[in-house]
Amino acid sequence: MSIWGWLKLTIAVWLFRQILKLAGGLIVAAVAVAAWPVTVVAAVGYAAAWLRGWPPARLGRMAAWSLPMTAVYFVGAAIRIPSWSAVLLAPVHDWAHAWRLLAAHAILRAGLLVAPVAVPAGLALGALWWAWRIYAVTTGLAGQTASAPVWFDERQWRHQARAARGRAAAPGAVPLVTGRGLVAVGATIRAVGHRWRPVLAVPARSFGRHSVIIGSSGSGKTNLMMRLWAGWFAATLATHRRQGGDRPLLVVLDCKGGPDARTKAERTRRLLHGVGAGRVAIWPDEARLCLWDLPPRDLGVLLLAMIETGDGAAAYYTDVMQTVVNLVLTAPGRPPADAASFLDRLDSDWLEAAYGDGAHEAAMVRIRAARPHVGDIQLRFATLFGRLGPALDGPGTLAGADVWYCILEGTREQSVAETQAMALTELVAHAATAPEAERRAILLAADDYSAVSRRVPISNLYERGRSLGLGVQVSAQSWPGLGASEDERYRIAATADGGIWLLHTPYPDPVIQLAGKRRVLESAHRLVGAAWGDDGTTRIQRVWTADPDLIRTLDTGQACYLHRGGATFVQVARPRPSPLPLSGLRYPSVIVPPPAPPPEPEQAPPSPNRLEDVLGPGPAR
Amino acid sequence: MNPFARLGLPPRPDLTDAQVRTAWRTIAAQTHPDRPDGGDVAVYTAAAAAYAQLRTAWARSEAYADLAAGEGSVPAPGSPPAQAPRVATPASLAARPPGVAVARALLLIPARIRRGRPLRLVARALAAALTSLLVLALIPAQPAGPAVVTGLVIWFLFTARSDLAPPPGR
Repeated sequence: MSIWGWLKLTIAVWLFRQILKLAGGLIVAAVAVAAWPVTVVAAVGYAAAWLRGWPPARLGRMAAWSLPMTAVYFVGAAIRIPSWSAVLLAPVHDWAHAWRLLAAHAILRAGLLVAPVAVPAGLALGALWWAWRIYAVTTGLAGQTASAPVWFDERQWRHQARAARGRAAAPGAVPLVTGRGLVAVGATIRAVGHRWRPVLAVPARSFGRHSVIIGSSGSGKTNLMMRLWAGWFAATLATHRRQGGDRPLLVVLDCKGGPDARTKAERTRRLLHGVGAGRVAIWPDEARLCLWDLPPRDLGVLLLAMIETGDGAAAYYTDVMQTVVNLVLTAPGRPPADAASFLDRLDSDWLEAAYGDGAHEAAMVRIRAARPHVGDIQLRFATLFGRLGPALDGPGTLAGADVWYCILEGTREQSVAETQAMALTELVAHAATAPEAERRAILLAADDYSAVSRRVPISNLYERGRSLGLGVQVSAQSWPGLGASEDERYRIAATADGGIWLLHTPYPDPVIQLAGKRRVLESAHRLVGAAWGDDGTTRIQRVWTADPDLIRTLDTGQACYLHRGGATFVQVARPRPSPLPLSGLRYPSVIVPPPAPPPEPEQAPPSPNRLEDVLGPGPAR
Repeated sequence: MNPFARLGLPPRPDLTDAQVRTAWRTIAAQTHPDRPDGGDVAVYTAAAAAYAQLRTAWARSEAYADLAAGEGSVPAPGSPPAQAPRVATPASLAARPPGVAVARALLLIPARIRRGRPLRLVARALAAALTSLLVLALIPAQPAGPAVVTGLVIWFLFTARSDLAPPPGR
């Protein structure tokens, strides 16, 4: 073929394609004009979806929810017209009538006349149109420039985040618990691999598994955790009331401590009271727990673990200490009731007197062998209890409150906090398994557990929790803070079958890898000069389910929920209980002195001599 | 009698120290035995005991929990019903017949409107109502009229939920 012939053929092919395109466009335009009511609704729906960052499914749902108006329309038509065929043709008649109204410039009347059919049809068409647009842009089939998919995604993220912020701020849009008993977390920004819903809500039973929360300081981690606690508590309490499920017990270990922890504890208390919690105990400031309620065997193991022991030759002394501690705890008579009585018993004479009834020869042999070390052992335990203070010496049990907020000074006194964490987790484990105790649905939440994880690895907590049937929620400020070693971190994250919550964090990559990849289409275009040519290829690629760059740029309060291979980005709503009182009764807004109650002289404090002694001058101390 | 009622306070665990102290001072000033009229020793001592019971957040938490568990919820003889606060308990909720929950939900709607975003809700309701009137006026005696009004009602019901305060405990 000559060059001139090839050129003519190329031009002819190009012209033919352009004519086809033009003809197609004209047909589509003609149909769009003919069905103008549907076109207008579809365009409005498309524009709204673009502006609000809605997924096509949302337009589809709107179309479905507008079907009742179509049904009412046909019922109305059936009442007016006796013939079924005429009823079915009523939209056509109205459409023809609408054209006449348009000609008479009665645009509003024309639109209203055909709206019952045009609205659902238009919204459905808008959903398809929007879905095609997203598909075309993200796969590279549409867009004028190579960077179009990137700009489209960034713009849509902004729109989605703005819409989610608005939803999360509405008082009734994101309650702590949904009407179906799910724990509402916040307004959905974007869902990848998960079903999109306006509000992300997770079932309360998922809290019975293990979950991880990672977010740097100021990322909104505290709000998220409080919301999850309050939502879980309210949902579990509602199940307990309606169906007789286990009563909830929330134990929070605030492992960082400090003044912030007190503020957080007070906020948690107010929030939990608002959703129906009874006693909310703040440990060790206001309430105590009793270590000595543990069974002697468990107590012995715990006491030994609380003392730091060495390896090698030092193991000999560990064995001696274990023997002595077991002898003290299992001595005839009652076990020790507090630290003081335990220390009193760490004495050779006391032990010999306790076991010296002739029936415990083997124990007496052990006591005599350990005699040179008993004084040292007592010294070590006296030091330990001195550092721990009286907060674990009772009285008090976990069953005595609905919520325990335990403040461990992990930043200030790490070794003490570690020991306390060991004791508290042991008490929780005992509460979960004690046969005589009431069965409770327990959630153990460890905030900034890395502060105390040197001696109690979180994975141990997880594994114990799983075997005991209690939920464990662990938070850290970063991936390295999740555990002491890489193995430990992967063990924790990989077993978090209750989901992983990622907030703004500079290094989310290891967690993202655990969430896996998804398949996407990627189109390559042949370039003609600086513009795209007409041909190219499309192939399947795999990308991360949760974009790590997006995680790194999350704003305060935005979180990514990773669960079962999908990711949902959410704007966490600020946790607030309903402002309505639980009983639904109206309470006096002005404090009014009550009528005289019957005198109770046995409760009366000593009467002060003067009125000023009671009232002034300073505030209550 | 519960300590909240003795101080004339609502049985809420989120009361502040200042609120409790103000209530105590009010009663003490009115009933102290040093008053020229001799005061009211019985009321004064009962209020003093209640103040001692409620002066810290933890103590209020405990008192509230006791109240929720049914202890001390029996009103004193002669107390008006409004002064005898009740707290919903698992037992009382379980004992309710099924229709009561629906009735209670309906009764709560005014309070939920008041504590939500009432202005926005009114604006929505007005918009829906005015548009409905306009539609019925523009296309009278047409099946499309009631159909469009149905659509407006659905829109209102869906969007109004976010303007209501959540129900108690949620």
